Amino acid sequence: MSYSTFNRKHFDSMKEPMFFGENVNVARYDQQKHPIFEKLIEKQLSFFWRPEEVDLSTDRKDFQRLEEHEQHIFLSNLKYQTLLDSVQGRSPNVALLPIVSLPELETWIETWSFSETIHSRSYTHIIRNIVNDPTKIFDDIVNNEEITKRADSVSKYYDRLIEMVNLYNTMGLGTFHVPGKGDVEISMHALKKALYLTVASVNVLEAIRFYVSFACSFAFAERTLMEGNAKIIKLIARDEALHLTGTQHMLNLMASGKDDPEMAIIAAECKDEIRHIFIEAAEQEKEWASYLFKDGSMIGLNAQILGQYVEYISNVRMQAVGLDTHFETKHNPIPWINAWLVSDNVQVAPQEAEISSYLVGQIDNDLDESDFDDFDL
Amino acid sequence: MTSTSKVEHFQPELGEQTTPTQDKDQVHRVLLGKKQILVTEDEPLLIQLERAGIHVEYQCREGYCSSCSIKLLWGQVSYPFEPLAWVQSGYLLACCAIVKSDIEIAFFD
Repeated sequence: MSYSTFNRKHFDSMKEPMFFGENVNVARYDQQKHPIFEKLIEKQLSFFWRPEEVDLSTDRKDFQRLEEHEQHIFLSNLKYQTLLDSVQGRSPNVALLPIVSLPELETWIETWSFSETIHSRSYTHIIRNIVNDPTKIFDDIVNNEEITKRADSVSKYYDRLIEMVNLYNTMGLGTFHVPGKGDVEISMHALKKALYLTVASVNVLEAIRFYVSFACSFAFAERTLMEGNAKIIKLIARDEALHLTGTQHMLNLMASGKDDPEMAIIAAECKDEIRHIFIEAAEQEKEWASYLFKDGSMIGLNAQILGQYVEYISNVRMQAVGLDTHFETKHNPIPWINAWLVSDNVQVAPQEAEISSYLVGQIDNDLDESDFDDFDL
Repeated sequence: MTSTSKVEHFQPELGEQTTPTQDKDQVHRVLLGKKQILVTEDEPLLIQLERAGIHVEYQCREGYCSSCSIKLLWGQVSYPFEPLAWVQSGYLLACCAIVKSDIEIAFFD
């Protein structure tokens, strides 16, 4: 079955599963099978921000005063963040839009991915402000072995799903010979499994990998360094918290079988594999921590503490999707991160920038004369 | 809901094992391991736990990030508005849960 940008079939979209049902035709939101996605869209739209709102002139001076190994930590972290959002700015669209079957979920995926492109643009804003030659930084993202290793693990599930869906859309179900890859079996079961693993690996990316990078960004700000950068990361963290709620909902809806009974069977089958994805990602993040701090640590953060944070946050996230915790660390070794992650104090001074969660054009039209009863002139 | 202004209510000393004598419908016991905290229905659980000196993980404090998800072993909580985050059965979201009976909570296994 090939993808249609406007499906002419008559069907009840309220009875479709989230994925692998009919292609969406009318983008309507007056009725929703899973209203949560519409709520996530509204929340995400209320978060809208632009990187240029944040002034980074002090960060440039701060950066020049950092010691060499601290500059390495800062830049490597930024490169990693750039990689993650490069992937996230396109992949949900490319991988999930061809197979989504609910209008509200389709729009959530687009809204989600769009917000990641804002993150990508903010890394350019940061890099342009702190170094003279951004190209050196960007080029290293595809050259540096430590970074490309991470690129592999964050993109492989997406790429596999995209490849399988491409085959499915052109050839339908069956076993097909792909030059260089051998025989690839395309069954509905295999497609749904690839999807489930992809969503889980995205959840890992947003819920663990991003948070490890946030910890590094905020560790500088704890020392009152690179504070403009921290402000931007705070806005990014607020978005990511919402995105990971989105993927948690997808995973839990799939696992519950309420959306598509076959997905529940697949989720049960994949439990060990998902666990493995979480644990593997955590181990990779710990390796990354040693790379960051290879030439020396900084006040408040070193490879060991960051490694403990990886373990801690992995436990939290595993529990959130119904998996048993895996690591020993049961307490947050860097409790100060919460004060940076908290969203309500993103931008406090109205003249400085946008107030977080400020809904534009919110006027109460439902006024009655009696509303003025307690007014005295 | 994350306003920093505090409304002071009559409350027995926190952490102390006191049986509430007044306002019986309003004050509930929260058991956490060997600790016991008294909470009211006026504010979400998170802010009251923090006031009692208990560190709870948090991020958004408005129900969409699920960082403050805590195990609810028994007892009842309610949500003035439905949180955006997925609340697993057997868990509560501390930032927006109002405690409605004596409860027992736990962090990790």
